[in-house]
Amino acid sequence: MVIKDFSLVLFTMLGQMAVGLAIMAALRPQTAEGPSEGKLKTHWLVAGCLLVAGLIASFFHLGHPGGSVLTLTHLSNSWLSREVLAFGVFGALLAATWLTLLKSGTGSLLGRIAAAVGIIAVLVSGMVYAPPGFPALNNISPLVLFLLTAFILGSALASYFADDKLQPTLTMVLAVSLIVGLVINLLLPSMWLAGNKAAQMTGQNFLSSGWFWARIVLEFVIPLVALAAMKKIAVWVPVLVVFGELVGRIMFFGSVVHSAATIGGLQ
Amino acid sequence: MSKKQLGFFVDVKRCIGCFSCAMACKNQYHQEKEVVWRQVYPVSEEIYPHRQSAWLSLACNHCQNPTCLKVCPVKAYFKRDKDGVVVHEQDKCIGCGNCIRSCPYGAPRYNPVAKKAEKCSLCWQRLDAGLKPACVQGCPAKALQLVDVNQFADPEAVQYIAGFPKFAALNPSVRFRAPSQPRVIRR
Amino acid sequence: MATYNKDKVEKALSCPLNRRKFLKGLLAAGVLAGVPGGLLRAVASEAGIVYEGDYQVFRNACPRNCYDTCSIKTFVKDGVVQFIEGAPESSFTDGALCVKGFSYPRRIYSPDRVKYPMLQVGRGSGKWRRISWDDALNRIAQKILEIKKKDDSLLGLGLTKYSGNFGITNYGVEGMMSSLGYTTRFVGTPCWPAGIDAQNYDMGNMWCNDPEDMVDARYIILWGANPAWCSVHSMKFITAAQERGAKVLCIDPVFTQTAAKSDEYWQVKTGEDGALALGMCRHLLDRGMYDKQFVSEHATGWEDFAAYLKSNITVEWAAKKSGIPAAEIVRTAEEFAQAKPATIWIGYGLQRHVNGGATVRAIDALVAMSGNIGKVGGGARYGHLFTWGFNYHALVQKQPEGSKGYLGQTGPKGEFDTGQGAKPAKYSDRAVNINQTARMILEAKEPPLRMLWASCKNVFSQDFDLNMMKKAFEKLEMVVVVDQFFNQTVEHADIVLPVTTLFEEWTENVSYWHYWLSINEQAIKPMFESKSNIEIASMLSAKMNSLSPGSCTFPTKIDTKKWMEKEFNAGIYKLFGISSWQDLKKGPVKAKLASSASWSGLKFATPSKKYEFKSELCATHGHKALPEYMDGRKPYGPYRLLTPHSKFNIHSQFQNLDWMEEFNSEPYVYLNPALAKEKGISDGDMVKVSSKVGQMTIKAMITDNVPPDTLLMYEAWFNKNPYNVQALVDDTPADMGKYKTGAPGVAIHDQFADIARA
Repeated sequence: MVIKDFSLVLFTMLGQMAVGLAIMAALRPQTAEGPSEGKLKTHWLVAGCLLVAGLIASFFHLGHPGGSVLTLTHLSNSWLSREVLAFGVFGALLAATWLTLLKSGTGSLLGRIAAAVGIIAVLVSGMVYAPPGFPALNNISPLVLFLLTAFILGSALASYFADDKLQPTLTMVLAVSLIVGLVINLLLPSMWLAGNKAAQMTGQNFLSSGWFWARIVLEFVIPLVALAAMKKIAVWVPVLVVFGELVGRIMFFGSVVHSAATIGGLQ
Repeated sequence: MSKKQLGFFVDVKRCIGCFSCAMACKNQYHQEKEVVWRQVYPVSEEIYPHRQSAWLSLACNHCQNPTCLKVCPVKAYFKRDKDGVVVHEQDKCIGCGNCIRSCPYGAPRYNPVAKKAEKCSLCWQRLDAGLKPACVQGCPAKALQLVDVNQFADPEAVQYIAGFPKFAALNPSVRFRAPSQPRVIRR
Repeated sequence: MATYNKDKVEKALSCPLNRRKFLKGLLAAGVLAGVPGGLLRAVASEAGIVYEGDYQVFRNACPRNCYDTCSIKTFVKDGVVQFIEGAPESSFTDGALCVKGFSYPRRIYSPDRVKYPMLQVGRGSGKWRRISWDDALNRIAQKILEIKKKDDSLLGLGLTKYSGNFGITNYGVEGMMSSLGYTTRFVGTPCWPAGIDAQNYDMGNMWCNDPEDMVDARYIILWGANPAWCSVHSMKFITAAQERGAKVLCIDPVFTQTAAKSDEYWQVKTGEDGALALGMCRHLLDRGMYDKQFVSEHATGWEDFAAYLKSNITVEWAAKKSGIPAAEIVRTAEEFAQAKPATIWIGYGLQRHVNGGATVRAIDALVAMSGNIGKVGGGARYGHLFTWGFNYHALVQKQPEGSKGYLGQTGPKGEFDTGQGAKPAKYSDRAVNINQTARMILEAKEPPLRMLWASCKNVFSQDFDLNMMKKAFEKLEMVVVVDQFFNQTVEHADIVLPVTTLFEEWTENVSYWHYWLSINEQAIKPMFESKSNIEIASMLSAKMNSLSPGSCTFPTKIDTKKWMEKEFNAGIYKLFGISSWQDLKKGPVKAKLASSASWSGLKFATPSKKYEFKSELCATHGHKALPEYMDGRKPYGPYRLLTPHSKFNIHSQFQNLDWMEEFNSEPYVYLNPALAKEKGISDGDMVKVSSKVGQMTIKAMITDNVPPDTLLMYEAWFNKNPYNVQALVDDTPADMGKYKTGAPGVAIHDQFADIARA
């Protein structure tokens, strides 16, 4: 994988973490009172910081970051323009939510709007990373994978900022997301093997990769067993899950075969 | 009367894989190291049963529905009305790489020095001066032609040839003629 | 041309540090032509500005050893070559160059170019130090004078030069040697001498049809030639013939790119082409399918040849020898004989064998008896020197008074030696065989070879038996190489002198295949301190005469443009139908030929004035009078090793450029899947190829383009890579070549080696 692409790994992961956290925050009462108050504010703050970190990472992807404002020029056709707008609005809403919380102690409506816009941003992002150039991904799979990332990382990380009342919900969301994620991540490479040459090569890359299988075990199998046994998100589970997502995202950018690599051969 | 859409006719039957077209482009534009606008791909033995004996010379296909143009966030691409050439305006480019990821034919390439994308723009300045593109001019076997794909009626010409990925939604403005095989007498 | 504008340069330099603007400024000031080293990158990729018009256009010609000798149009702006194109006026070049030619813009400005005279402190050490021209020439001149004093002659000074630059004025290198005295000359040619002699025995000269008339052929055999790689501009004529219904048969031990473009391909056993040709002759004789009028009225020795065929050759025998089934031989012979006209392109690879000359004679005989000599679209095509009738003014120089030399050797000094300047003299140069350079250096005595001047030649890359060459060079007291890059010969030199590219000198060019003439204008100022070969000669002469008056007759002050003009004569003007060389500034011109067919009048240049199936002269020279079958070389190793030419380089030129590396990054040895399986070799494995001559380690590529009993490697010089096929090739001579080129050829493709996983 090219160094340049690693900034995309970071941007998409961090952005989806922020959206995930926003979704989880929107699930809980948006009034900060009592002992929950600090944690709720921190929750939104962390979401905001992760998003900012992701946006900074994305700048490193540009040859000329100074021109990044111009990326809003092509909203009519370019999913990338739309992604910039969506994350921009999401970021603004995150900031507004946190500021509102600070000021008046309640950010419920704004928070829910932020979460909704965040989901839209993830969907838009899913379209950006599904170009014809990568046949394995030229479908809804990036969209699905990105949503999964948001829910998995959002629920796992939210467990650090949630009080006991919310933990069962988070545990449930994480468990369901992990099960869906496990199924999808196992299905996808097999489906790729039935596709065109670029997709087949992608499928082979994944299935023959030690990292792929390590991720399946570390991110899905072990945490699911732990969740089932402990009925809560142990403090080390998010660590495994984040690591697994990182591996998965690196493979998303590094091991998917570009169509141009198949020119000259049977398609 | 259909619109004019310029594109390359790649006569794989005539093509001898000499790479003159690829180097003619480098000679014209002096691209940075490893930035190749026209590449000559060997056709695999599964398709043509003699290794490195049939070739696909490909640059930009100036698609009717170019994905590079569509996905560019800063509108650094435009498609000329008069002849369908897809031009990249490097001055506007911010080097986001989206077109590079998007084009299934690998036409746009990343220039690591300029930190921008770039690709074959069908030598539009030469065209406007009444000249042929450098690669077409530079082919000694007369295997690379510039045609109006909306008028080109060669009965042997196809839009997709074995080894060339099919992306009908993009509608690449390129035509091919398949290579032939000799009768082979081995000891 | 470039002018220096102080204001523009300062303005450019003071611009905010934007590389594009910086370079543009330098371009405007024309400074780039003189900027050293690191700044000298190719012009920045400016996708926005690529074709501006208003260029200065110059006419050049590619001076490489290539059939196509392209006419070039050079587009210059601000004293810098911006891009080049093929000249459209030539129907042969027809506007296109090749992958090598188009890399010239990079070659001129390559950061790897030798920029100044350099001295290697300790030969082979890689420790180079820049010296001035004066210093370099002083060292060289002192050495020459020292040799003269020691040996009382200059036979200790040797020149090796061949085809690195065929611009006519470059024969001034030989002229320079003559102007110093009688020296040792490496004569002959590794290229094509056996075939030249063969065609001379058969017809009295090597003289092929205009290649553009191949469109009119009805049957074309491409025999031991690979024009799809080595004469790309010829392919359009072959394709045109096919489109008109002609059949193209490719005969080659290897399935080449040319084979893929042909209608039929025969995987002949290497070196058995003569048997195959004779088998076809025998069949045509049996069927009476030959031109009876030609063999009786325009040839001699037909009866003897027919008798030989009847007693010694059968189709079955030919099939067994060549590996081509008898039924195919029969069918093809008849198709060939019935197609009117039919032609055979006799390749140079085909005659790089111990029986090369004999093979060419057999193929000539096939063309002759089928009545295809002297026919438009026909002929036994090999090459020609028809258009090379220049004055060779640069070549012809006088030895200084009182020079002593070699007693008692005559003979041509190569195929381009027209015998001019060969006044009967008491002394002569000492001629030694260029094809056994290492051996000659080791064996030369009385006097030994003390000093070597190499120009237009990369000895280490192109001469045979690398290990022997290394030993030979140890004997040399001084090695001077004139070149553009730090190649493998320069690595073994004491002094390298930077030479100009074609864009930096005045000369003229013709081809040994097509019939066009080009002017080569100086398009830009010479880069750094490079000089053309004749400038170097005049500078050396000045230095020699300053140290020892009268020691060199080469003019010390020359106008290189005038020297280009001085090569033209009335004969050339008449042949090309021009009144002056100035006409060539408008574009290349084609010779006015009576017919596109050589020998169209069927008046041959042999002793009998007829086509000689039986050549007494040939017998006198130690061969057979008839084109009899001759055995190939007995294998001395398990697998045949072929080292032919690649499409990405002309010998050791071009592949070293980074632009070329982008399309061809590394060398391989090619082997058949069956052999690979036997040896446990997979695609991409590192393997060791070894022979009695030497060995090398290299990556393997598996393909059935190569027969199971053969290993294939392309000769080339890759930048900073010790890859060198000469490590595996010995200097065994071909049968013919001495008659017309002064030395026998060399059996480059009669080599054998073994292979194993590394």
